Amino acid sequence: MTAISQTLKSRKRRRMSAIARQDRVGLFYVAPFFVHFVLFGAIPIVFTTALAFFNADFQTYYEFITNHQLSVLTNAFAGLDNFRELFKDSYFWLALRNTFSIWLISTVPQLIIAFGLASLLANARLRASTFWRTALMIPNITSVLAVAIVFQQLFGRDFGIFNVLLHYVGHKPIEWVAGTIPSHFAIATMINWRWLGYNSLIFLAAILAIPKELYESAALDGASRWQTVRYVTIPQMKNTITFMLVMGTIGGLGLFVEPLTYGGGFDGGANSQFLTMTLYLYKQAFMNQRLGYGAAIGVGITLVVMIISAINFMITRSIAGEESK
Amino acid sequence: MKLGIRIRTGLAVAVATGLAVAGAGVGAQAASNVTLTVWSYGNVFEPKIVDMYRKAHPDVTIKITKMNLDDEHNKLLYALPSRAVPDVAAVEMAYMGQFRQPMIAAQFTNLNTLGANKIASDYLPFRWAQGTGLNGAQIGLPTDVGGLAVAYRTDLFKKAGFPTKREEVTALWPTWEKFITVGKQFQNKVPGVGFMDSTGTLFAAVLNQGTEKYYDAKSRAAIYRTNPTVKRAFDIAAKAGCTFMRNNKCAGSIGTKINQFSPDWGAAMNKGAFAAVLAPAWMLDYIKQQAPGTKGKWDIAAVPGGGGNMGGSMLTIPKKAKNAKAAWDFISWYLAPAQQLKTFQLYGLFPTTYKMYSQPSIKNYKDPFFNNAPVGAIYSSSAMKLKPIYAGAKDRLIDSTFGQALARITQGTQTKSCGSFPAQTSGAAWCQALQDIQHNVGQ
Amino acid sequence: MTATLEQMETTTQQSASPKPRRRSISKRVSPFTYVALTLMTFISVFPFYWMYVVASNGSEEISKIPPSLTPGGNFPNVVNTITQAVPFWHAILNTAIVSTVIALCNVFFSTLAGFALAKLRVPGKRGMLLFIIGTMMLPAQLGVIFMYMVMSWLNWINDFKALVVPAIVGAFGVFWMRQIIDSQLPNELLEAARIDGASVFRIYRSIVVPTVLPAAFVLGLFSFLGTWNDYLWPSLVLNDPERFTVQVAITQLNNSYTVDYAANMGAALLGTTPLLLLFIFVGRRLVAGVMEGAVKG
Repeated sequence: MTAISQTLKSRKRRRMSAIARQDRVGLFYVAPFFVHFVLFGAIPIVFTTALAFFNADFQTYYEFITNHQLSVLTNAFAGLDNFRELFKDSYFWLALRNTFSIWLISTVPQLIIAFGLASLLANARLRASTFWRTALMIPNITSVLAVAIVFQQLFGRDFGIFNVLLHYVGHKPIEWVAGTIPSHFAIATMINWRWLGYNSLIFLAAILAIPKELYESAALDGASRWQTVRYVTIPQMKNTITFMLVMGTIGGLGLFVEPLTYGGGFDGGANSQFLTMTLYLYKQAFMNQRLGYGAAIGVGITLVVMIISAINFMITRSIAGEESK
Repeated sequence: MKLGIRIRTGLAVAVATGLAVAGAGVGAQAASNVTLTVWSYGNVFEPKIVDMYRKAHPDVTIKITKMNLDDEHNKLLYALPSRAVPDVAAVEMAYMGQFRQPMIAAQFTNLNTLGANKIASDYLPFRWAQGTGLNGAQIGLPTDVGGLAVAYRTDLFKKAGFPTKREEVTALWPTWEKFITVGKQFQNKVPGVGFMDSTGTLFAAVLNQGTEKYYDAKSRAAIYRTNPTVKRAFDIAAKAGCTFMRNNKCAGSIGTKINQFSPDWGAAMNKGAFAAVLAPAWMLDYIKQQAPGTKGKWDIAAVPGGGGNMGGSMLTIPKKAKNAKAAWDFISWYLAPAQQLKTFQLYGLFPTTYKMYSQPSIKNYKDPFFNNAPVGAIYSSSAMKLKPIYAGAKDRLIDSTFGQALARITQGTQTKSCGSFPAQTSGAAWCQALQDIQHNVGQ
Repeated sequence: MTATLEQMETTTQQSASPKPRRRSISKRVSPFTYVALTLMTFISVFPFYWMYVVASNGSEEISKIPPSLTPGGNFPNVVNTITQAVPFWHAILNTAIVSTVIALCNVFFSTLAGFALAKLRVPGKRGMLLFIIGTMMLPAQLGVIFMYMVMSWLNWINDFKALVVPAIVGAFGVFWMRQIIDSQLPNELLEAARIDGASVFRIYRSIVVPTVLPAAFVLGLFSFLGTWNDYLWPSLVLNDPERFTVQVAITQLNNSYTVDYAANMGAALLGTTPLLLLFIFVGRRLVAGVMEGAVKG
């Protein structure tokens, strides 16, 4: 090494450490958020996880609050009992199946239609494009509660518009609440109505970001429309699709307000036909006043989320691997 | 740069304002005035009566928050140990079993210390007893008493060729089994019209004719599995809800599939989609509200077995309430004999102050909406015959689990077999209900 | 929905006969595209119209078959019913204040933290990010039991503090701003500022903030909307009708023993109308923000 490069290197090192020292003040910038996050984000989850190891029902809570005796807690310690019960709990697995079913019925058509819509909107010659895009966002700004109220009425068995239309074409009325798949369909429709526009816009942005050159070279190679979509458009949008799947999964696993309002209670229907996992957590924790067991369900949900995320991650990795071929 | 400062200042101002508004909301009260916070549900507190109190006490502001039944009780439970309690809280019979437990009853003001023992004799003894905590304290004052009768549509009965005079109608169903038979006959004669609105109501009706339901009064143990009253009530409601099967699915019932108090219920009532409703006293007002156009087309007959107790509430004052004395003034006034009489005249809620029953205003009261039925006499004799039912700690949960099971039978969604009972049978629904209760309640 | 999909497939087939689709080169837009888009717009807007139809006809009208598809004249009565059941206008005011405060705080703290996580060499940054991502994935309801108990102990039940304090900053906002700052702020600019001897705060105030203001505005919008529409937590925490937010006020009507459909829908509509009005003004910004975030994300 020459003397000059040595000096330059040491000067750079000194400057970098100066910057590092200066940047430490960044801790103060992050601190408010991080402290808040730990307090209101992390600690509740830790607490809930801990609660799952106790046989805590409302009586226990009361005893503890009024007596402040530690013995109440130690007496209530239940180890893995709640988890053993959870594993055998057919309602939990039913809730899991329901959650997945609703998720499937909502996500798959939604992504396809959103993609289709985005393709239509991507055309540069489309007139009033801002109008269409803005109109599509309107469902997204309403509250879930309002949506559920409207759709509850639209899907009513005797007087809802859908059954009335079915009646006119001679079909029997469908049990949109009492049936299993119909109720899933109704709830999925609520979700789709809300998110279709939003997802279309995300797809649209991704489509517009694809460089023209890729299309031109595909055209030169004589690729058909379908081949272009398959080998150019979709791989380029891989990140976006992954992002949407992840967000959709998280939202889907936590599905709560829609089934709650649709059914008007924590039961998820007389046959628990649209009981979702989070709704079941609430049912056990608040209705049945079994706080510890509800917390165990929470832990169960967490595990499911982790497994799904891991699967998501692996799928993403393999798609990325394919692309490099 | 300036923009950043402007934003920062604006932000500070906004935050300060926001928290100030929040803070102002908390403490803004003139010194001499009292504000009573009341938590309630349904029609426990009737507006005109409350207004009478307001007029007489201009220094008292009464704020009533109406909530969903389950929400109100759950929130109350969580609030009791803290200071965020209301001054007055209504507690429904289904939850009273839990609130009477010693540890929770201790969180309420013992109303005897405020003078309750002096007025105890005004009230039906069994209703008064329902407000006594297991620790001996009187934690609640009884509101109304349900009683039970059958409200029926005379015009629809006529169409079916049934008698329409109330004594004759009562004679049609001396037992609940006969009631179901009459229902089937009605539907054969008048197709397309349900005999009753919701067969699930039969469960509570039959159940509440006993003296114990889910818990043993002495040992306080859970007896819902073995108590024959429970099984009988379930079987009757199940039979009514599914009178015959076809293709392994429920193909007939003597009720419509409509839930009570749903929007469809009111619409159905207006249209004459069902001919009979099990009616505690408070139901009459609902009928009048939901279907004003059917005035004069109803009458009242007795239920098989004569009377049952459906519902009812207690008014309580949490221990940590800020204005216990003012709260006591209000609720003891609201439930005093004179006001209960007025509530009955205006809203149909039947008084628990039984000494009024002999008063002409009740004894001779006839309701033109119900074909001048002597509603006062009917419900007062029913109320006097009522026997108290022991309320246990988890009544509400067990109620709703059985309710779910019955709904599955009617809707044909009992898809699981259980024990030795195949799917879609009432035996399977019962078996599953027992398992669910065990799971939900742990007893 | 299937019909729409087929329409779209035919559209793309038609318009791309010999040549493959090229989004950059404009091609004739088939009428089917407009039909599909009109249909989607109709579907997006119909429920609002339906809310008004139901609310403005009486509750008896709802059970008519065929249901009336046109509005009636009953709306003022319905508004009356609503305001008698619940102090609705007050609820709207409450919600507006709470949502604004939370939106401003959220933007402020998110920008601060996002900047630090994007451009500064903060010790432990990577660990923090992973930790945050991990926790973000869990449903929010998991912590509600504990949060409710805490609010109970702090005596914040029925107090707006219970709404505001847990919401003043969130992981989503921090990530959003981090992405925006990461992509919109060239490192060279930062380097130049550092060489000039600017303090971190100076850099933040003079460079970062002005650049990300549009994105920050969009974040504020989302935050505002989210708070306005939040239903579960406020309904758990607020007990006094005077304190209710809009969504809780709507549930009051949903909760009576006998649901008055007209009032129910009317309340839902009234609760959404302020947002619709807001949307008229800032809708385009929102759309732009969504699309911008999509690419950066």
